[in-house]
Amino acid sequence: MPGRPRKPVPGALVALTLLCCAASPALAPAAARGAHEKSAAAAQGAQSAPPPGEAQPPAPATESSPAPGGASPAGAAPAATPAHQHAHAGGEAHDPAQARRAPGAEAQRAGTGAGAGAGAGAGGQASRGAGGQASTGAGAQAGGGGQRDARHDARTHRDQSGAQAAPSAATSAGASAQAQAPSADTRGGSTGEHTTRHREKEREKKEAKAAEKESRGKGGGGEAPGEGEAEEASPEAPIATPAPAPALSAAVPIAPASASSAAAAAGPAPAQPGTVTPPAVVASSASAVRTRHRPRAASGRRGRPGAAGPRAALAAALAPAALAADGAHARSQERLPGAARPRGRERVSPLARTITRIVDVVPPAVRLVIAALLALALALAARSRMAAVRARRLERQRGQLLEDVGLLQAALLPVAPAQLGEVLTSAAYEPAAGPGAGGDFYDLFALEDGRLAVIVGDVSGHGRQALPHTALVRFTLRAYLEAGLSPRDAVQTAGAVLERQLAGVFATVLAATYDPARRLLTYASAGHPPPLVLAAGGDAGSPEQVTICAAPPIGIGMRTGTRQTVLSLPGRALLCFYTDGVTEARVGSDLFGRERLVEELEALGPEAAAGELLDAVAARADARPDDMAACVLSLRGGGAVAEVRGEELELDREEAASPRTERFLRACGLSAQEAAEAMRLAAGAAGRAGTVVLELRYEQGRPMLELRRQQLAFLDPARIEAKALRGDAAAARGAAGVAR
Amino acid sequence: MFSRSDNRHSSAAKAAPFAVDRRDLDGRTSVVSVSGELDLSTAPQLKWALVDALEQGHACLVVDLSHTSFMDSTALGVLVGVNRSLAAGSRLAVVCHSAALLRIFELSGMDGAFAIHPTLEAALAAEAPAPRVAEAG
Repeated sequence: MPGRPRKPVPGALVALTLLCCAASPALAPAAARGAHEKSAAAAQGAQSAPPPGEAQPPAPATESSPAPGGASPAGAAPAATPAHQHAHAGGEAHDPAQARRAPGAEAQRAGTGAGAGAGAGAGGQASRGAGGQASTGAGAQAGGGGQRDARHDARTHRDQSGAQAAPSAATSAGASAQAQAPSADTRGGSTGEHTTRHREKEREKKEAKAAEKESRGKGGGGEAPGEGEAEEASPEAPIATPAPAPALSAAVPIAPASASSAAAAAGPAPAQPGTVTPPAVVASSASAVRTRHRPRAASGRRGRPGAAGPRAALAAALAPAALAADGAHARSQERLPGAARPRGRERVSPLARTITRIVDVVPPAVRLVIAALLALALALAARSRMAAVRARRLERQRGQLLEDVGLLQAALLPVAPAQLGEVLTSAAYEPAAGPGAGGDFYDLFALEDGRLAVIVGDVSGHGRQALPHTALVRFTLRAYLEAGLSPRDAVQTAGAVLERQLAGVFATVLAATYDPARRLLTYASAGHPPPLVLAAGGDAGSPEQVTICAAPPIGIGMRTGTRQTVLSLPGRALLCFYTDGVTEARVGSDLFGRERLVEELEALGPEAAAGELLDAVAARADARPDDMAACVLSLRGGGAVAEVRGEELELDREEAASPRTERFLRACGLSAQEAAEAMRLAAGAAGRAGTVVLELRYEQGRPMLELRRQQLAFLDPARIEAKALRGDAAAARGAAGVAR
Repeated sequence: MFSRSDNRHSSAAKAAPFAVDRRDLDGRTSVVSVSGELDLSTAPQLKWALVDALEQGHACLVVDLSHTSFMDSTALGVLVGVNRSLAAGSRLAVVCHSAALLRIFELSGMDGAFAIHPTLEAALAAEAPAPRVAEAG
């Protein structure tokens, strides 16, 4: 149930996944490709939209960083790579083939981000191309070889940038200009003429920055491109602008040129690593490296360009940010040698590419199926996860419950101490196998004055419902015993108090105390079998126990706690307190019975333990329909003590005259005559509303009778009142009879 | 001591299958006879028979255990429960002559809770509507 509220989750998940899947055909390609498209659009439409242009600058940066060192060698084939880049950037094609059309790509690139394009297109000479510093840059790289090429490049760039003429172009141009400037420097270093170039470059850089700012500020202004070169660029720009496509085509032819220039650049490039001062190099290489990189890819594996595409896409995606940061980017790149970012991007790209490819290949129907399966898998996963969580929670709860049950059980069935003073004690409980389980209880503890107290009982009713009553009876009795009441008083008081609370449930109990000093056992029962007393010497040594006039159970609406027995146990003895489950176990169709219990107890020897006893009973019995509980006290032999035996019976006036009482008195050893006399005295002593306690004590085998009056007023006023009325009526009748 | 007789008696009368039979002697008295073993599983039938009799207005219930071979504390519980639910003026009497059963009544102190008679006739005579003369003390 607790899990229910969570159900929506899988639904939501499914919906989500479905959405994703549905969108994926459009998204996946679009994400990667769309990005390209975007950038392409940007590039091509650079004229119209500024952002695309900026998107690229970051891309070049990325490229540059990965191979600052390797850049130089890569530089060998500068032209090709940029082409790819551009191609992708242009988004024209994931198609490697298209990418391979490096030149065109370059053109595009150039078109897109003037800066990026510039760098790329220019190849090593990017610098020149970019700002239209072509001349300078060209010179620089030309040092390696094709100045013309460089110029060509520059021109191309012009074209491109012109194509981009758009404002963005301006900014990017600025950026690229910056980027290139350093590269130019490096190269300059490598070549020779570059010192002068350097200066020029620096100037140009500054100018480029300024231009950038300007162009940014203007936003729409297409003038931006290059400072000095602006002139060059501008003328071409108009041409390119009108037709983006032409720009492309125009670029294509240039490609070779760039390639050659790249080749030219190749010369200087190798030198770079050595020459370059780290930051500067990296930064500068940003553009150069890019270009060089490409070439390698282009010449070596064409497939690579594909990777570039996504990168470009990413860049495009980042366009807005890039836009703003554009110039800054370029600058920062100059500063940051390693630029870790690019790497991350590169890592992402193959994945995106792969996905894109797969998604492209998979027919829509299959895509749907896959989506459905995916959703299903997710739903199932969520479900199983929930089930696992729930199972764990349930397991936890179960553990807690078991713990609680254990605590409850411990509260009802305490672990008896192994020894209390001189007395070996043990207690055991064996629940019934069937529906009768529950209801038996015991307690075994030491009282303050050194006596031992034992409580054994059985609450009617079984199972869990009996537990509260069981606890109630046990603790009530224990409290009265602890308070110092005699067993009979404790049972009587508990009976009076619990009558209301038990609400129809009744309980048989046996409360006992053992005084080790006087070796006296005192017990009182309420409907419970008396304890087994096995004294050394067998039957002869075991004291006689009178069971007539036993008190009724607690809770049946009758006064209880009316009987008490006191026994002295001078020698070694075993006391066994048990519940009727033990004697009502079945052997065949017979009851197990008290006699068999005695046999088992004797067989266990003088130090028998309750657990062993119950095991023996269970082993011998065929069926145990009720719980079994037992407490065993093993008394060691002691010094001589006065032999004491006493029986108490509390009677009200009516009971005092009953044949039951007569039987009791006769069982106690009184003659018929003595019994009659005793009954007469008791009836008189009890009075109309009270009770009398007949106390029989044996001295030298002779019973001595003592009568004690006891008022019941504190117990149950209603019942006493009724009894009093009945007594009145009887008295009235008697009087009437006498009168007649 | 008593346990010996316990076992002998219970084994002597074990053959009878369990049955509860109710006879209404008149509008006031109903006799419920139990044969076989009264234990955890059969005691409820005795309970329902007694409850039915009470609900039909019988004020004097006689439970005849003459043919009961065995009785445990559950059956005692039934008798106690019915005895408690008796309205004023209603009575519950038990007919029992088996020493084993008498022993159970005695040990549990129930022999003071309701009248126990050795025979049905004695029970009917004792529970007759004629008012008993209280013996004046």
